[in-house]
Formats: sequence, structure tokens, C-alpha cells
Amino acid sequence: MASLIRSWIPLLILQSFLVAIAFGSKEAEEFSEALLLKPLPDRKVLAHFHFENRAPPSNSHGRHHHLFPKAISQLVQKFRVKEMELSFTQGRWNHEHWGGFDPLSSMNAKPVGVELWAVFDVPQSQVDTSWKNLTHALSGLFCASINFLESSTSYAAPTWGFGTNSDKLRYGSLPREAVCTENLTPWLKLLPCRDKDGISALMNRPSVYRGFYHSQRLHLSTVESGQEGLGSGIVLEQTLTVVLQPETTSVETNMQPSWSLSSLFGRKVVGSCVLAKSSNVYLQLEGRLGHESKNVDTEIEAHKLWKNADFDLSLKPDRVLRESSSLLFIFDIDKSSDSEPFDLGLTWKLPSKWSCQQAPLQATRFLMGSGNERGAIAILLKATESQEKLPGRVVTDGRCTIKANIFQIFPWYVKVYYHTLQIFVDQQQKTDCEVLKKINVSPSTDKVSSGMLEMMLELPCEVKSAAISIEYDKGFLHIDEYPPDANQGFDIPSALISFPSHHASLDFQEELSKSPLLSSFKEKSLVRSYTEVLLVPLTTPDFSMPYNVITITCTIFALYFGSLLNVLRRRIGEEERFLKSQGKKTFGLKQLLSRLTAKIRGRPIEPPSSDSPAAQSSFLSSKLIFKIILVAGAAAAWQYFSTDN
Amino acid sequence: MKFLILVMLLCYSFAFSSGDTTIHTNNWAVLVCTSRFWFNYRHMANTLSLYRTVKRLGIPDERIILMLADDMACNARNEYPAQVFNNENHKLNLYGDNVEVDYRGYEVTVENFLRVLTGRHENAVPRSKRLLSDEGSHILLYMTGHGGDEFLKFQDAEELQSHDLADAVKQMKEKRRFKELMIMVDTCQAATLFNQLQSPGVLAIGSSLKGENSYSHHLDSDVGVSVVDRFTYYTLAFFERLNIYDNASLNSLFRSYDPKLLMSTAYYRTDLYQPHLAEVPVTNFFGSVMETIHTDSVYKAFSSKTSNNKINSEMPVNQLSEHDELQKANIPNDELKTEKQKCPYTQMRVDLHEKLEKFENVDTVVNLGIAVMVFVVMISSSLL
Repeated sequence: MASLIRSWIPLLILQSFLVAIAFGSKEAEEFSEALLLKPLPDRKVLAHFHFENRAPPSNSHGRHHHLFPKAISQLVQKFRVKEMELSFTQGRWNHEHWGGFDPLSSMNAKPVGVELWAVFDVPQSQVDTSWKNLTHALSGLFCASINFLESSTSYAAPTWGFGTNSDKLRYGSLPREAVCTENLTPWLKLLPCRDKDGISALMNRPSVYRGFYHSQRLHLSTVESGQEGLGSGIVLEQTLTVVLQPETTSVETNMQPSWSLSSLFGRKVVGSCVLAKSSNVYLQLEGRLGHESKNVDTEIEAHKLWKNADFDLSLKPDRVLRESSSLLFIFDIDKSSDSEPFDLGLTWKLPSKWSCQQAPLQATRFLMGSGNERGAIAILLKATESQEKLPGRVVTDGRCTIKANIFQIFPWYVKVYYHTLQIFVDQQQKTDCEVLKKINVSPSTDKVSSGMLEMMLELPCEVKSAAISIEYDKGFLHIDEYPPDANQGFDIPSALISFPSHHASLDFQEELSKSPLLSSFKEKSLVRSYTEVLLVPLTTPDFSMPYNVITITCTIFALYFGSLLNVLRRRIGEEERFLKSQGKKTFGLKQLLSRLTAKIRGRPIEPPSSDSPAAQSSFLSSKLIFKIILVAGAAAAWQYFSTDN
Repeated sequence: MKFLILVMLLCYSFAFSSGDTTIHTNNWAVLVCTSRFWFNYRHMANTLSLYRTVKRLGIPDERIILMLADDMACNARNEYPAQVFNNENHKLNLYGDNVEVDYRGYEVTVENFLRVLTGRHENAVPRSKRLLSDEGSHILLYMTGHGGDEFLKFQDAEELQSHDLADAVKQMKEKRRFKELMIMVDTCQAATLFNQLQSPGVLAIGSSLKGENSYSHHLDSDVGVSVVDRFTYYTLAFFERLNIYDNASLNSLFRSYDPKLLMSTAYYRTDLYQPHLAEVPVTNFFGSVMETIHTDSVYKAFSSKTSNNKINSEMPVNQLSEHDELQKANIPNDELKTEKQKCPYTQMRVDLHEKLEKFENVDTVVNLGIAVMVFVVMISSSLL
């Protein structure tokens, strides 16, 4: 019997192995983690965490997942989300120093607060309902007030200005939403290793939130499988971009600060997340054009790249890749362990300077006008230095042009007059048809929907500056609609400037490994930048006014009706007669006596008119007299008997 | 006809008994910080301290509704980003890596608060933002902010009045959303907020009486503002000594409040709450400690009344009696008693007065007194 079992065991093992292969042949769920570090020209360091989780199409409707978060797959199925992006941001991306023309900035430079957009796969009539339900679900999932985006006054349906062309797209943003630990925690819980292991273990909350900029992004898209019966796969991309200031002791201002992972985050990487397919750390150095040799075959050459006169890396990179203007060092963190944690450090030896590639035009937005009644919003586009070098110029009819899309949402209480739109190119006012190629306006309706403006400008290549201004009136809100801190002012969400003919990509010619981070960089992404949030002070009422009004109205009413009743009902002659008759009655010895007794008793004067108290008092006095007589009689009797003896 | 009446009677008795026999099955906590703006840092620290305590004592995050009216941790004024402290020694970061805030910022309104209590939400509201309690739930409701006579301010803009609170609690009781409810309020004149309560099973404790202020405990000069209120500070001081297995009673918690330290008088309203406070462990509200009942068959324990009685008898009694003995000197009621015993003469006079008041007609007493006087005069004169 035992031998029989023993002979069966290998068979069983083989069978299970075959089953595993059969399942493995289907595409499995994949998770990968990566961290990109990049020193910035203004002595800061950018850390970009990138996690990608792929769920392949499956016929089980994705009910069973190994790595993919169930919460997200349920969200996708329930609301039939085709594509969605949610970002939580604090701080403002510095386009000048941190770059404006690379995939990193065009995807991760987000507006302040919460931004959410989603494309749905439902009939047109149900899109708004799905959006509403999605905002509620996300607010529960990420501990934020995203549900404020449900009201039709806070979101819009961009047609082409946003860059994604779909009529089932909804876009909304909450500029004043706070971003803190409670938003990051549920976001980390979507990762298979949470923040316990791998690269995400670096996210020490105080050091992340001490930074100049942090943007936490979640992007998901469904991948349709061509086959019938199979559901759709989901790709979930989670990124966290942080700009940190390394602590430095050097006094020299032109020297870049040296840093290490432990000095930036206060932690080190101990091993990779075992569930991750790949876990890499990248270090990108820009402006390293000195080393021209294309192939880094020889050991000495490679060594020179990471230990040279300019800087030292504390660890030897596993591979080095190069792009037209930057170097990329790749580190595998699989080898690190408890005894030997991964702690990459960069030490600068010589001062070095470089600049980041910038978008063709740099956008700023500001308010104009004075007073509390009306004003104007202006968007200023300034040419950057790198404009001439950039690809993506369109030459039509012998004219070289730059295309720029502007997408802007106006809250309904900022009543924009679209006919006042003015465009200036190099300080000269242009008529609309010269530069404005396309415009789409959906005016706001009071308390019902927000206004939206989409514009496509075609500016000449040699433009130095372009300005757009539009006038507005400030609306009045109902007293219940004001937030508790209404005196702080109201926010107008960021405008989005995108350059449809410019695409940013970084191609490291990497063929060997399919790193999701590098492949996302390789994809051509639309160059876009968000402007500042505008703070509009609205006229706020004195919130204690209703109370004041109520009290003063009540007083006036009481005074008016009281005196009116007095005048109507009071008979002065009658009263005088009554007083006189009373005065006659209560005069004489009786009153004097009652006053005296009242003084003795310490009580107010009792009205002498009533009969019963008098009777009572006489009765009492008779009793008293009787008692006195009794005592006197007894005493007299006693005296009589005593003298008798 | 008779049959119908019988059925009705049966139904009635069943309903009555089922309402009575529900046993404590789960714990919930609703923790509300109603104040906005940076200078009210301490209210958020209060709430987060309680959050930490109830979590430590076993209530899971999905059963805690945390409402914070402002963002203090990542406030631009906070020198310690993503951290909140309730003590100037900065030993304990209340805003650790695992805080789930359910309602925050502008969402903390009277409307949302009442919706949470009564469970009247829109369909789209996710489960994490709902109080999904049932008739076996013990709920702790903790509120802190700025208050006054029968109101509590929300966000410095609107008020929750004692009527609103009482109505919400009444509705909760009717909807069988709780078995026992403990309301703990740390505001000025907190006791007035309970004036309108009338639902059974409600225990209320406030930091101060009418006309009294609740004060903050101390100022943290690094953070720049006061970091904790006195009432909450001493509540936490009590709970820090406990772990999930301790059986400290509610009575010992109530008696740990010293009016001299609080600078206000803690007020308890116990007339709506039947169990004896000395027999109710604090973990009934501040933790989640469940009895495990072994049954032979499935779900038998919940329907039988005997098991309920058994649980009551097994209910852990106060084991902090040594502490109680020590603390007795500080209790205000006892002080009053000792004062009474100090003056025997006044006591006697008061007693005599009370007895005199009981007589129906004073005249007979006077007459009797005169008669006695006559005798006294007779005796005294005969002696002469």
C-alpha cells in the first residue's frame, strides 16, 4: 500500500506541474516596481516611483486575482471605466528648472489638489451617472472629498482640448483638496507588497511630505482583448513624484549637493518586493554630453562613467544607457539584503551646471483689474530659449507655426464674457481668425453647470510672447453655498496648455529588458503644462447678518405693534378716574397701620380690601387673648392657693 | 377572534423579548473634530488620540468613522509635515502610516454628521463612509470643538444643537442602530449638549458643566499652538495604562477625572443607562472585546436568553479597586459627605427642622408647648 502511494507521488507532482504550465501559458498578472532618481539643476533631487500592475484579459471577469488589487478591478467593472487618471498633488512644478519637455514632466506635472478624468464605456446618457458614482467610490477608497466632483457645477466634458478625444470623457479638479498621509496609505495598499518591502518601503511619510512637490498619480486603462468571450485586461500604473531638497553642509552655492537614498528618505532599500517581476533603480543624469563614445564595452570606459572627475556613485551600476542628452544608470536591487542594504549615493566633486529642456512656450496665468465687482483673466505664453531647437514645428504655406491648445474650466460664479476675448501676439492685438484656429465654448449656467473654454492657437514660430485675456463678472452665491472659510477666496482651477504637434519621448534604445518605466518614457507623450490656480476673492456677506436682521426686525415689530395696541386700546380718562377713586378709598388711619405692620413684617403692603384675612386675624387675636387669659388665670389661681397656705 | 388576539399577543411578546435579548456583537466609533483653522490644532490632536486609543483597544478601521474638519498634518504651518502630536515631548506621532480619514475638510458638516448617525445616505455613498451598526452595536461618539449652551459649532460656521443630537439619537434607537451609545464631548459647557437626550441605553459624559469652560492642557512651543485639551489629556492618561485585556470599569474612568486638574467639572448623565457602571468595562465602548461562545450547533447562542444571562453574570467586574481606594479622596461627592459630618450641631438642627416641618397643624404644637410651659412654671415656682 505504502509503495503504491510512493509510486503515485511523482505522478501527482508531475500533474500539478503540468497544470501550472497550462495556467502559466496564459498571460499572468505582472507587477513591476521602479525608482528613478534625477538630480535637478536647482540643487534638488527628483524621485519618481513607478509601479505597474497588469491584469490580462480573463474569462472569469477578473474575480480572482493574484497580484492585481481587487478594489480597482471591481471599480472598472462596475462603472465600466475605459481609462481613468486620478492625481493628488501639492506644490507647483517648476517648469523652468525641473523640465517641461520630457515624458516625466508632461505626465507627472499635475495641478494642485485633486484632478480626476475618466472615459467610460457606457451609453452617452449614462455617463454622468457613472461619473457621479465613480467619484463617490473613489472618495471612499482614497479618503478624499472627491465626491465634490459629482455636482454638475464642478466637472466638464472636454471635446478636443484635453488631448483625449472622446465624447464620454469627464474632467474635474478640486484645487483646494488637502493631500496627506491618508491619501497615500490606501494608494500604497493597492501594491502587492504595500509599503513593507521593496522600493515602496522607502516612502517615509515625513520626508515625502517635506518635499517641494509631491504628486501621487493613479492611471488605469483597459486593454481590449480581441477575442470573443474574454473580458478586458487592466493596466494600473501608479506613480509618485517627489522633489526633495538634500541636506547639505557645503557652503559653496554652485556646488551640487551630494546625497544618498538614506539621507533623502531616512531609509534604505532592503531587498525587492518578491512579487515584482522587475525592481530597478534608475539614476538619470542630464547634460552629460562629454562622453561621446557610443559603445561602453571596455571595463575602464564603463568605470569612468560612474567614478570620474565630476562625481562618484557609491554603487556600481549594472548597466549604463545613453540617450541624446542624458545618461541612465541602472541598478538591480534584487541583490540587496538585510546585511547589505541598497543605499545609492551620489557625491559631486566639481561644480556642474546643466539645464533642462523646456516646452516651446511657458505659460503663466494671472488676474487683472481691480475692485470686487469685475476683473479679467489673462494667460501669458512666453517663448523659452529652447524653442528653436525643438522638433514639431508645422510648416504650412511657407509659414512656420506652433500649435497650442488651451483648456480651461470656469466655475459658474465667475461669469465670463466670451465676446471680450482678446489675443495679443508680441504686444499687438490680433483678430481672431489670424491665430485662433478653433474654439469651443460652453457657457456656464448659474448653479447648474460650469463654463468651459477650449481654444486652439496657431502662433508663428518666431513669437516672443502671446497673451490671451477675457473679462468676467463675479456672481453672488446663496448664503448656504459659501464654504466655512469663504473669506479666503475661491479657486479657479488650473488651465491646461498642451502642444499637439510636440511630443516628448526618451529613447534609450533599450531592447533587452522590457522595463515598464522605460517603455512609458519611450511612448510619445503630449507635451502639456498646467498653469497656476487663481484665487478670486468674492464678495462675502457678513454671516452674522441674518441673526442681526432677525433681532432688529423683531425689536421693530414689537415696538410698533406694542405702541399701536397701546394707542388703540388705552383709555386715559378712564384710568385717571379709576386712580382717583382708589386714592379716596385708601386714605386714613387704616393705610398708615397697614404700612406700619408691613414694615415690621418686612413684606409688601397687603391689599386691605379682602375680607377673609381680617376675619382670620381677628380670630387669631381672640385665640391669643384666650391663651393669655388662661395663663394669667392659672398664675392668679396659683398665687391664690400659695398665699392661702 | 380569540386566535387573532393570541397571535397578536405572541408577536408582541416576541418582539419585546427579542428587543431585550440582543447581545453585544460589535463595536463602532464615530470620532468628530468639528473645528477648522490651524489654531484649533488641539481638537484634531484630541480626536486622533482617541482614534489611536480605540484602534489600539481593538476597534478596526472599517468600524471607525473619523471626521476631521481641517488638514493639520500637511498644513503649511506645520513644521512637522505628516505628523500630529498631542504632547510636547513628541514621543508619539498620532498621524502614523495607517490613518483613514472618512470625512474631512468641507465634508464635516452638521448635515453629514446627522446622516452618518441616522444612516440616511445617498445610494452612491461608499460603505467606508457609513455607520453600519445594528441592534447589537455599542457605539462610542466622541466630539470635540467649540461649544456653548446647548450647541456645538461645526467649522466655525454652523451649529449642532442639543435638540438635533437628541433627535438623531432617538431616530437611531428607533431604527435599532445601537444597543448602547456612549457620547463623550470635550467642549465648553459640554453638559448642556445632553439636556434633550431621552433615548434609553445612552450614556453621556461631558468635560464641563454649564457656565464652565474646558481648557487646553499645554502649549507646544515648537508646533506653536496648544496641542491637547485637559479632559482628553486625562482620559488618555487613564487609557494609556490599559491594554485590551484590562477590565477597568466605566466607574473608574469617571472617577479618574479630578476637577482641580481639569479646571472644570466632568459631567456624567447616567439616568438613561441601566447597567451598573461599576460592572461595565471601558472596553465595552472604547475597545472591541467579544465573548467567544462555544455552541454545539450553529447560531444557537444568539436566540437563547440563557446565554445572555450567562454573559451578564460572567461580565468582568472592576479589578482596579486598589486604585479606587486611593482615588476616593479626590471624589467631590465624598468631600461633601465629610463636610456634613464635621458639624454635628447644624446637622441636628436641620434634622429637628425637618421633623417640625412634618407636623400638620402648628397650633396644637404651640398649645402643647404652652401647657408644658405652665407645668414648668408651676414646678420651678414650687421649688422656690
